[in-house]
Amino acid sequence: MFDISVLKETSENLWEIPKSFRSDMRVSALVYASEAMLKEISRDRSLEQLVNVATLPGIVGYALAMPDIHEGYGFPIGGVAAFDAQEGIISPGGIGYDINCGVRLLRSSLTLPDAAAHLEKLGSAIYREVPSGVGKGGRLTLKGKEFNRVLERGAPAVVAMGYGTKEDLAHTESEGCIADASSEPVSERAKSRGKDQLGTMGAGNHFVEVDVVEKIFDPAAAQALGIFEDQVTVLIHTGSRGLGHQIATDHIRIMMRAMSEYGITLPDRELACTPFSSKEGGEYFAAMAAGANFAWANRQLITWEVRKAFAEVFGEKAGVLDLVYDVAHNIAKIEEYKIDGVNRKLIVHRKGATRAFPDQPVIIPGSMGTASYVLVGQEASMHKSFGSTCHGAGRRMSRTQARRQVDVKELKQRLSEKGIVVNAGSLAGLAEESPESYKNVDEVVEIVHAAGIARTVARLRPIAVVKG
Amino acid sequence: MPFEFLPHTADVRMNVSGKSLEELFCDALRGTMQFLSPNAQENAARVQHTIEISSPDVTALLVDFLNAALSSAQENKETYADVTIKDLAATHVSATVSGYPVQSFGNDIKAVTYHEADVHKNEKGEWKTTIVFDI
Repeated sequence: MFDISVLKETSENLWEIPKSFRSDMRVSALVYASEAMLKEISRDRSLEQLVNVATLPGIVGYALAMPDIHEGYGFPIGGVAAFDAQEGIISPGGIGYDINCGVRLLRSSLTLPDAAAHLEKLGSAIYREVPSGVGKGGRLTLKGKEFNRVLERGAPAVVAMGYGTKEDLAHTESEGCIADASSEPVSERAKSRGKDQLGTMGAGNHFVEVDVVEKIFDPAAAQALGIFEDQVTVLIHTGSRGLGHQIATDHIRIMMRAMSEYGITLPDRELACTPFSSKEGGEYFAAMAAGANFAWANRQLITWEVRKAFAEVFGEKAGVLDLVYDVAHNIAKIEEYKIDGVNRKLIVHRKGATRAFPDQPVIIPGSMGTASYVLVGQEASMHKSFGSTCHGAGRRMSRTQARRQVDVKELKQRLSEKGIVVNAGSLAGLAEESPESYKNVDEVVEIVHAAGIARTVARLRPIAVVKG
Repeated sequence: MPFEFLPHTADVRMNVSGKSLEELFCDALRGTMQFLSPNAQENAARVQHTIEISSPDVTALLVDFLNAALSSAQENKETYADVTIKDLAATHVSATVSGYPVQSFGNDIKAVTYHEADVHKNEKGEWKTTIVFDI
């Protein structure tokens, strides 16, 4: 339990833990939240973890928490931290084990009345086409140079194999490729874990979901994105699978051993880091970028699989499922910001936070059975949140508690009554992802909208959920 | 109880204890494999691997050992129920893990984290630690 009396509300729904709170803090910590949310946030260790992030060498401005913050390991989930490229560090824990976990939104030309009678069939077709669960391989097993090409070129590498279009790439963050990626600092074990995982969803909170556009908040922005009321859309939420997990594991271990050479001591081992300019820092960044590229290729291949499922169910009527946008929420990027009037190159760590550059689409998945949101980034994000916003609803209940409390039969019935078709490989996994396990996504989005960092455009309601 | 699972907002906490450091390592590995909830392959031949790890201290050693076993399990799609520790010191472990190939796993563990891990001997002489899985 964190004593919230130490936080000061500096402007509406923005709270500060001053630098003076703990002697090892280099900057203050800021939290976007309502007072009620803050009380809930203070119950776990997320604010203590945010304070720990504020102690890291070379941190610039502030350690930032979004309203969907919750306890992670080392860094909290729902956090943003920017470090100077010359004097600052890079930390795998500030990105997470699921490198480039992210979401992409596809839009169809179908409306709910077109799809309503076919949802069972559509859910089953997607479940069949997109392999899910743990330890199940995909349709594409790449080796050697072909695999390294995916690591170094990302989504464009699988588009070149015929699994998508150039248009898809134009609507993907960084066009689906971080050019700094290298396959060399990616271990053979990481490559081996990833070799058959392209085009697979995995388990946990990852999903493919068919939604319907329930409400438009900003008609002009929605029109620009090709979104209209009652439209059928698809959300894909997954990341870099075992490859990314292994890259993070390998490089945290390397950094833990190397830290002392750079005189770095930490309040939590999971914050393991080295200077960005160090050999270890550079190698991790190149490997992380390779993991991010793999994740973009993965979501691109899943897009191809979803298109196949739609064509199977709707035939030509399905039309083309166009990509609205694909955005990462576990990543580090090199970006430039004006700090005190000077342009500085920063390593922006987003762990459970989404890039929200001005006019860039932002996709915020909610919990299964509630709502997801489409937003667009705002100019203010560039000076208020290092071009970032929230990433989802954020967990409020532990998975253990959810398994104990949620009656899966009752949950399936409840979802069915809401008109949601569910295809899930694991019933226990379904319970863990129940709506009551998450914070209210409406409230989370309201905070970032009111703060002016991302503007709400549309709300989506799930009609078919496919999970591992 | 050699290991038990406790709530964590996003992930899973496992408390492990053992009468000796060796037992702690074995129990932590069994807990990790149990959490993965493997779906066994029928009539599969037994598999065996040697894991050798060196780490800066005993806590990192346990986490690195579990991660090595987890990576091997996920890479080879196997589960390990038996562990034989050949050599164990504060910064080095050599062990043989053996078990069976699996069809798939019921649960995923992305990684075993260092978060909250603290291998120590309590006043009763038992070895204990918490392990947080990122799932």
